[in-house]
Amino acid sequence: MTRPARTPLLVLLLTALAGPLAAQQEVYLKVTNPGLSRVVLGLPSFASVGTIDPAVASEFLTTLRRDLDQTVAIGVLPNEQARLVVVEPGNAALTRQRWRAVGAQFLLEGSLAGAGSQLVTEVRLWDLSTSEVAYARRFEAGVGLAATLAHTIANELVKLFTGKTGPFLSRIAFVSDRTGAKELWVMRWDGDAQQQLTSYRSITLGPAWSPDGTLLAFTSFLRTAPQLLMLRPSQGSLITLSTLPGVNSSPSFSPNGTRIAFATGGDGDTDIYVVPAAGGVPERLTHTRGINTQPAWSPSGRQIVYTSTATGSPQLYIMDAEGTNARRLTFEDSYADEAAWAPDGIRIAYTTRVEQGFQIAILDLRDGHRTVVEGPGRNESPCWSPDGTMLAFVSNRNGSAQIYVTDPNGQPKQITRDGNNRQPAWVVQLQ
Amino acid sequence: MPWSMKVMLRMGPVVALALAACAHHAKVVAPAPTPAPVTSAAAAASPATTPAVVKPEPTVVAPLRPEAEVVGAELPADLDQLNRAGYLKDAFFDTNKSELREDARQALADDAAWLKQHPSVQLTLEGHCDERNTEEYNLALGWRRANAVKAYLATLGVTGEHMTTISYGEERPFALGHDESAWAQNRRVHFVITGR
Repeated sequence: MTRPARTPLLVLLLTALAGPLAAQQEVYLKVTNPGLSRVVLGLPSFASVGTIDPAVASEFLTTLRRDLDQTVAIGVLPNEQARLVVVEPGNAALTRQRWRAVGAQFLLEGSLAGAGSQLVTEVRLWDLSTSEVAYARRFEAGVGLAATLAHTIANELVKLFTGKTGPFLSRIAFVSDRTGAKELWVMRWDGDAQQQLTSYRSITLGPAWSPDGTLLAFTSFLRTAPQLLMLRPSQGSLITLSTLPGVNSSPSFSPNGTRIAFATGGDGDTDIYVVPAAGGVPERLTHTRGINTQPAWSPSGRQIVYTSTATGSPQLYIMDAEGTNARRLTFEDSYADEAAWAPDGIRIAYTTRVEQGFQIAILDLRDGHRTVVEGPGRNESPCWSPDGTMLAFVSNRNGSAQIYVTDPNGQPKQITRDGNNRQPAWVVQLQ
Repeated sequence: MPWSMKVMLRMGPVVALALAACAHHAKVVAPAPTPAPVTSAAAAASPATTPAVVKPEPTVVAPLRPEAEVVGAELPADLDQLNRAGYLKDAFFDTNKSELREDARQALADDAAWLKQHPSVQLTLEGHCDERNTEEYNLALGWRRANAVKAYLATLGVTGEHMTTISYGEERPFALGHDESAWAQNRRVHFVITGR
């Protein structure tokens, strides 16, 4: 949809870990391409060492190339240019200069070896403008984990260029009614490996991850009245966070994972509350008549954006995390809801109403500029990828409600198909 | 499966429609097995409803207010049967609103009268919404609607001791369509008798 603002000069600190390739060292990598949105990476075939299954090697390299090509920060040099590079036997330095001559700015060299039941890969990233090694690391993984190994390396390279871990091992929790009841599910960020997390045969809504991917908070009608519950998917254990009167909805973890904002209240009003993630007495933050719901923390943890009907129609408001300094944020919308604060801290995605239909809008907090992202059908529930380069959202453009993920160019791709699928919540990695 | 679902499934859409149509009448005099036609007065009673969406009169396939409703008569022992009998009328709402319309006040006045005659009855007031808001906003809106009905019943002298409120938001729609006639059915507070 929109691209993040790129800092003209990225100075990144890189620590290459100990391994056969590199002793402990620090490298300062400077990327100075204000006009270019992507670094061009040469990606030659990795050298196969020993008895590596060609199918495994192919899966690894295909996955790595596909991942890297889906990022905002990196573009893999197309084959048409890559095949012009003539390898100079015994002169790797000259070969690298030939990669540079066809347009590569960085070159990822590597080897892949099978060692018993383990896969071992060593990668080395060259900055072709300085002919220096910018990054070097050795990885080991079980032989069945070639794709995971590739995702891990891709994540590291994205972090090198953007400061944020890539999305390639990330997961999206969501609500699906495909079994006949709304249950929690989880899938890979590209829609693969969809897995059912709950079978309560009740109503389950609004999942939110703890930042470390260990806990999933949500609303459940399991015990008749809606309650705020928390699941530890790795153990299947269930924790009750709030049984206050009201809707107990819309949980959102603070960025440090210690507190959960949510919405509930008695006598018809709904207010924002905060409860310790470890359990405890909820503290009320808003005291406005009407509906206050859908809280979302700023990446700094200092502020909370939420929906309020304080002035009539639902609008976005911002307050300090202590509940003070509440102020209205949206003025151009007849209806604004479901705010999601981008990891960069400067953009908020939300759901707006345009002529009776929902669309995703993105508000730039620096200048207050609002961009409505028009798409076919009804579009809602935006959710940022952990690196802030992509959005997941829900659309009924093909009939039923389904989850879509934008690629770095803003093109949406449908990633769910069975039943209706809603309320995506994205986490960097499962623990 | 919660109570309301069971009731709903058994009622079927036609009866649900009939019940809803009932709520649009300015005055329903008990017992009335066949609803009177919608009059212009009834339409005027809910000014926010646009004329374009006034529904055709539904076919009534079951008596909504049985003769047994006469004061002092025995209530059915079975709760399912009791809820199906339709002693209590649901309150319907305008889009995005939790304020009570005139037709809702009329229905609730009748409900209050009946509840005063049956003080031992226990109730759940379920707030429901149409699908046109976000899920979580609708939960909060349904909560407002259920509590608005509870507060209004209190002004009519029906205390809240035997009453529970819950919001289902858009999660348990009565009508499954995606048009105004379906949405109008789904913006309601639904009465479920949970004890007698």
